Amino acid sequence: MPSLHELQRAFARAMLAGPADEACGAILDDGIAAAERLRVHRNTFRANLARTLRMTYPAVDKLVGEAFFDAASETFIARHPPHSADLNEYGACFPEFLDTFPAACGVPYLADVARFEWALNVAAHGRDTPTLAAAHLLSIEPNQHARLRFVPHPSVTLLALTYPADEIADAVLAGDDAAIAAIDLSGGMLHVIVYRGARGVEAQRLTTDAHRFLLRLHAGEPLGALLEDTRVNVPALLADALDKGRLTALRIDP
Amino acid sequence: MSVPASEDPVREGHAPVPACAGIGLRFQHHAEVIEQRPAVAWFEVHSENYFGGGKPLAWLDAIRADYAISLHGVGLSLGSAEGVSERHLARLEALVRRIQPVLVSEHLSWSAVSGMHFPDLLPLPLTEEALAVFCRNVGQVQDRLRRTILIENPSSYLRYRHSSIPECDFVAAVAARTGCGILCDVNNVFVSACNHGFDAQRYLSALPGGRVQEIHLAGHRVRTLDNGGEIRIDDHGSRVCDQVWALYADAIARFGRVPTLIEWDTDVPPLSVLREEAAKAERIMSTGWRHAVAA
Repeated sequence: MPSLHELQRAFARAMLAGPADEACGAILDDGIAAAERLRVHRNTFRANLARTLRMTYPAVDKLVGEAFFDAASETFIARHPPHSADLNEYGACFPEFLDTFPAACGVPYLADVARFEWALNVAAHGRDTPTLAAAHLLSIEPNQHARLRFVPHPSVTLLALTYPADEIADAVLAGDDAAIAAIDLSGGMLHVIVYRGARGVEAQRLTTDAHRFLLRLHAGEPLGALLEDTRVNVPALLADALDKGRLTALRIDP
Repeated sequence: MSVPASEDPVREGHAPVPACAGIGLRFQHHAEVIEQRPAVAWFEVHSENYFGGGKPLAWLDAIRADYAISLHGVGLSLGSAEGVSERHLARLEALVRRIQPVLVSEHLSWSAVSGMHFPDLLPLPLTEEALAVFCRNVGQVQDRLRRTILIENPSSYLRYRHSSIPECDFVAAVAARTGCGILCDVNNVFVSACNHGFDAQRYLSALPGGRVQEIHLAGHRVRTLDNGGEIRIDDHGSRVCDQVWALYADAIARFGRVPTLIEWDTDVPPLSVLREEAAKAERIMSTGWRHAVAA
């Protein structure tokens, strides 16, 4: 008789790889084979996750079609089961999976579209956190400004993309064939910030310099060091970040 | 476990749930409920859908202002040998504090092991070991939330060779040992009884009536297997079938008026259909099955 823990580990292996003797051996056949009974749960598990991936990655789904998406999600689910019961957190590494999924190599921009859609998902579901008000910043003594460090809102993602995934996703979901045909895939690297603003989820294109600056800002580098970056207008970028609710807190180094 | 066993569970800072028929609230109906404020006695939501922020939680805050809300969990994995996830419990605790639900419930099942989570209600072996694990986890959750929770019987598609306790007795033992309430899903009793050939009436009679604080009703489907066998699948994708309505009337006769919830998760219909189902449950609660059918 297996212990509860042994049984749960064997059951988990059957969920990922299909019914096997160790799990089936613990289950009564009783008119219906143990493997068939296990499959009821495996089907539910996989269908729930496939549906979750489809909801998070609708443009990817539409780009590749149902059969391709089914095949990709089936492989992905077996390799990357969730770590949380919050399914809004499921599928973070789907873009990287698509990068290496052999059948996806004919669609070079697919993983970038997935990266963009994951950022939209994070923006939609990131936890509620009070945003930092510009007035709070103004209340801080100027002699302390160099030692300020900022914390980004949980909904914010900075993206560096090879393809214009934002345009592709919008055009694909709108079913706008003319817009899809007009997209220039050879424009080179582009940068986007995705976040939840006052009016909902927003995506904004950034210059390379602004992207690099915001990466450092979000990583918590002190303002003194950031102000040495002369390629960007630091006060303007900071004001924009505060205005759009993309910062939640600040710390002052002792 | 510090939560005392009593017939009248401790409820702090929140009103009792009305002993009426409510509706499982899904995203499709959020906007309609907020805009039209339909006459629905109470709503139940899946807790995990509100663990993040943004619109879903803002909607729930708005609905909560006018309706009693029950938080129904599907992923706490109370049957896990490894114990309950601290992160999950902390998020549930935060949601309970924010929403102040009239009920908090979970399932007699497990879904997490070795850091993996399986989004399904996986069956527990009904053994003394599993009972001890389950009660320990329920006790931990009740201590943390400072309130009793309700435990729901799941639909069952398989039984383990080493199970030694009938499920109804297992549920009753959990309630007796932890002080938790029982969420009797009448559709699940019916589905499991059909799948395993046990007597649904006897199942109901084994539950301690005073502990049954909520009833769930939903539709299920019958799947025919390759070998010609049949298995009933609890897909929450149709109206409650007549046999389940009849069993519900028996449950009400046995337990008295109990807050009853209509659940629908697959191919979710217009809210009006769910309200028709809730009205039917109300009629049965008031007059019994025969009268409700005649009307």
